[in-house]
Amino acid sequence: MTVPLEGYLLLSAAVFCIGVFGVLVRRNALLFLMSVELMLNAANINLVAFGLEYGNLTGQLFALFVIALAAAEVAVGIGIIVSFDRNFESIDVTDAVTMRW
Amino acid sequence: MSALLDPAVGIVACPLVACLVTLTTGRWLPLRGAIPGLVATAGSLGLAVWVALRLALGTAPTHETVYTFVGGVDGQGVVFSFGLLVDPLSALMLVVVSLIAVLVHLFSVGYMNEEGESDLDRYYAGLGLFTFSMLAFVVADNLLMAFVFFELLGLCSYLLVGFWFRDPGPPSAAKKAFLVTRLGDYFLLVGVVAVFATFGSGAFAGPDSFVTAAEGVVDSDTGYTFLDLSGQQVVDGIGLLVLGGAIGKSAQFPLHTWLPDAMEGPTPVSALVHAATMVAAGVYLLARMYGFYALSPTVLAVIALVGGFTALFAATRALVEQELKQVLAYSTISQYGYVMLALGGGGYVAAVFHLTTHAVFKSLLFLGAGAVIVATRHEEDMWEMGGLRERLPVTYYGFLAGSLALAGVFPFAGFWSKDELLFETLDHAAGGVSVLWVAYAMGLLAVAVTVLYTVRMLLLTFHGDPRTDRAADPDSVGWTMQAPMVVLGVLAAVAGVLNLGTLRGVLGEETLLLAEFLSGETLEGFGGLTTENGGFALSAGQYAETLHDAAGYEAAGLSPVLSGMVALALAFAGVAGAVLLYRGDDPDTHVARLGRLGSVLANNDHQDEFQVWLASSVARRAALAANRFDRGIVDGVVNGLGAVALSLGGRFRRIQTGLVSNYTAMLVLGLTLLLLVFGLTEGWWV
Repeated sequence: MTVPLEGYLLLSAAVFCIGVFGVLVRRNALLFLMSVELMLNAANINLVAFGLEYGNLTGQLFALFVIALAAAEVAVGIGIIVSFDRNFESIDVTDAVTMRW
Repeated sequence: MSALLDPAVGIVACPLVACLVTLTTGRWLPLRGAIPGLVATAGSLGLAVWVALRLALGTAPTHETVYTFVGGVDGQGVVFSFGLLVDPLSALMLVVVSLIAVLVHLFSVGYMNEEGESDLDRYYAGLGLFTFSMLAFVVADNLLMAFVFFELLGLCSYLLVGFWFRDPGPPSAAKKAFLVTRLGDYFLLVGVVAVFATFGSGAFAGPDSFVTAAEGVVDSDTGYTFLDLSGQQVVDGIGLLVLGGAIGKSAQFPLHTWLPDAMEGPTPVSALVHAATMVAAGVYLLARMYGFYALSPTVLAVIALVGGFTALFAATRALVEQELKQVLAYSTISQYGYVMLALGGGGYVAAVFHLTTHAVFKSLLFLGAGAVIVATRHEEDMWEMGGLRERLPVTYYGFLAGSLALAGVFPFAGFWSKDELLFETLDHAAGGVSVLWVAYAMGLLAVAVTVLYTVRMLLLTFHGDPRTDRAADPDSVGWTMQAPMVVLGVLAAVAGVLNLGTLRGVLGEETLLLAEFLSGETLEGFGGLTTENGGFALSAGQYAETLHDAAGYEAAGLSPVLSGMVALALAFAGVAGAVLLYRGDDPDTHVARLGRLGSVLANNDHQDEFQVWLASSVARRAALAANRFDRGIVDGVVNGLGAVALSLGGRFRRIQTGLVSNYTAMLVLGLTLLLLVFGLTEGWWV
C-alpha cells in the first residue's frame, strides 16, 4: 500500500506546528531545543517525501545533511544551556532578559 | 626662454630669499638680517633698472605665464595662473619700489640697529616679505594674482605696523590697518570674482584679456544681459567694486582712517608703506587696468571726485596736526588723492608720473622725519622742536627738498607732476566732461592748502628757536641715515626732468620722456600685447584713444603754461600764508582760532566715530540677525531631523524585549502575514 503525498505533507505540517507551539509557549530551554528538533524533522519528512514522489535521491541526500546539521546544532544548543544554567541557576528562557535595549 | 629665467622673476625672488634667510638665520647674522635685505633689494634694483632700460631701448615687453594652478578642462573654462607682465608701467614701478626698498633698508640700519631695538630679524624679514609682495603685485599679469599679493601686502603692513607689539598703540593700529583695508579688499574680491564670472579671464593684457572682453561687451548693442543690466552697467559695476579695493589700500575717503594710525609703526616702515608699497598698490591697480576704466565715464567721474575730495580734505587735516608723522600721513592721503584725480581726469601719464615723484619725495620726507625723531630722542611733536636747521644740516636740506617737491614749487619734481595732472584734468573738463570742473576746483584749492601745511611743518620743525632741550641739543645722525636722504633729495630736485609737461609748448613733445616710455613708442615689438587693431594695448596712447571713444573725453587744447601759472600762484599764496602765520622764533598754534571747525578737524572729522558707529550698530545688528538665522533655521533643520530620529528610535527599541519567545512569535507572525499577503495578491485561493 502506498501512502499518497498529501499524507506525508499533513504529517510534516502537524509535526512543524507542534514544534512552533513548543517554541512559543515553553519556558524550559531543553524543551525549546526539542521543539526546534521537531521543526527540523518536519522539514526532513517533506524533503524525503518529495524525493520519493519525484524519484530522485536529492531529497534524501539533503535530509542527511539536515540531520548532521541538527546534531551540530544540538551540541551548540546544549552548550548554551549549560552555560545558561551556570549563569542563572535555572534553564528558564524568560530569565535571560538582560540582552535588550 | 623659460619664463623662470626672466630677470623679472629674479627681481621678485630676491627679497623673498632675503626674507627666508633672515627668518631662519637672522638672529646669528651681524646687524640681524639687514645685510641679506640690503643685498637682495640692491640686486632687485639693479635688475629692475636693467629691465627698464631694455624696455626704454626697444626690447619687447614680457608677458609670460610662470605657473598655472587651475588649467581649465580641455582648454575650456577659467584658467588661474601666476604670470609676468613687464611693460613700461610695471618696469617703472619695479624701479621705484626696489629703489625705495633698498634705501629704507639702509636707513633702518641707522634707525633700528643703532637704536638698539630687539627682534630685528623679525623686522627685516617683514621688510623683505613686504618688498616681495609689492614687486610680485607689480609684475602680476592677471587680476587673481594681483589680488593674492594685494592681500599679502595687507598682512605685511599688519606685521610691520604692529612691530612694537608690546606697547598698547601699535597692535591696535595694526589691527585697524588690516581691518579697514580688508573692508576695501572685500569689494575687490567680489570684483575679481565678477570679472572672472563675466569675462572668463582675469588677464590684464593680450587678446583674451578681460579688458578686451569688456570693450566687446560695451560696444555690442544687442546687449550682454545679466540681471537685465546692460554691458555698460556691468562694466561700471565691476569698475566700482575694484575701485573699492583701491580706495581701501590707497587710503582714500572714506577708508583713509587706518593710515594716520599706522604711524605707530617704525618710521622706515612708514616710508616704505607710503611711498612704494601698500598705499601705492591701490592706485597702481587702477593704472594697471586703466584700459578697463577708460570704458566707463561714470566710474572715472567717481574716481576723480573721490580723488579731488580726498586731496582737499586730507590737506586740511594735515594743517592742524601737531605731530610730524601725522602731517606726513595726511599729506600722503592727499597726494594719492591727486593721483586718483589724475586717473579720473584722464591723465594716465600724469598719474603715473605723480605716483613716481610722490614715491621719491614722500619717502624722503619720512626718512627725514625719522632722522629728526632719532636726533631728538623720539620726539614727534613739532611744537617740541624748532631750530633744528643749524644742528642737522643734511637732514634739513633733504627735508627741504622733499617739502618743496611736495609743495609743488618750481623746479622740484612735485611741481611738474602735480601741474601735469591738474592740467590734464582741466583740459578734459574744458573739453566737455563738466563733472571734472568740481574735481579740478578741489584739487586746485588743495594746492594752496598743501603748501600751507608743508611750509608750516618745515618752519615749526627746523626754523625759529629750539623750544625744548631735546631740540636744542639733538644727537647726530649717522651716515646710513644721511646717505638715503641725499640720494632721494637729489632725485626729488631733478626727477621732474622725466616729463616737463608744463613746458611742452616750449620744448616740444619729444622731451616728454615718461609719456614716450609709457606710450610704448620706445618699443620695437609689442610682444604679443597687441590688439587686432594694432598698437600696444597697454600704452598711454591706446588709453587716450579709448577715453576719447568710449568715455567721451575730449582735450580742449588749453595751454599747459597757463594752468601751471595758476597753480604756482596758488602755491605762492600758500607759502605767504604759512610764513605769515608760523614765522618767527615763537610761533602761535592758531588752532584755537578755528573754533568749532578746529575741533571737528582735530577729531579726525569724526570719521573714526562714524566707522565705530557703523561697525557697532549696523554691522553688528546685521551679524546678530545672520547669527539668529544660522542658529535658528540652518541649525534648527539639522537638529530637528536628529531629534525626530532620536525619539522614533527611543520608541521602536522597546520591541526588543530580550525574551526568545517574543522573537519567535514575531518571526511566526511575520511569516504568517507574508504568506497571507502573497496568498491574497497572487490569488492562491481564488
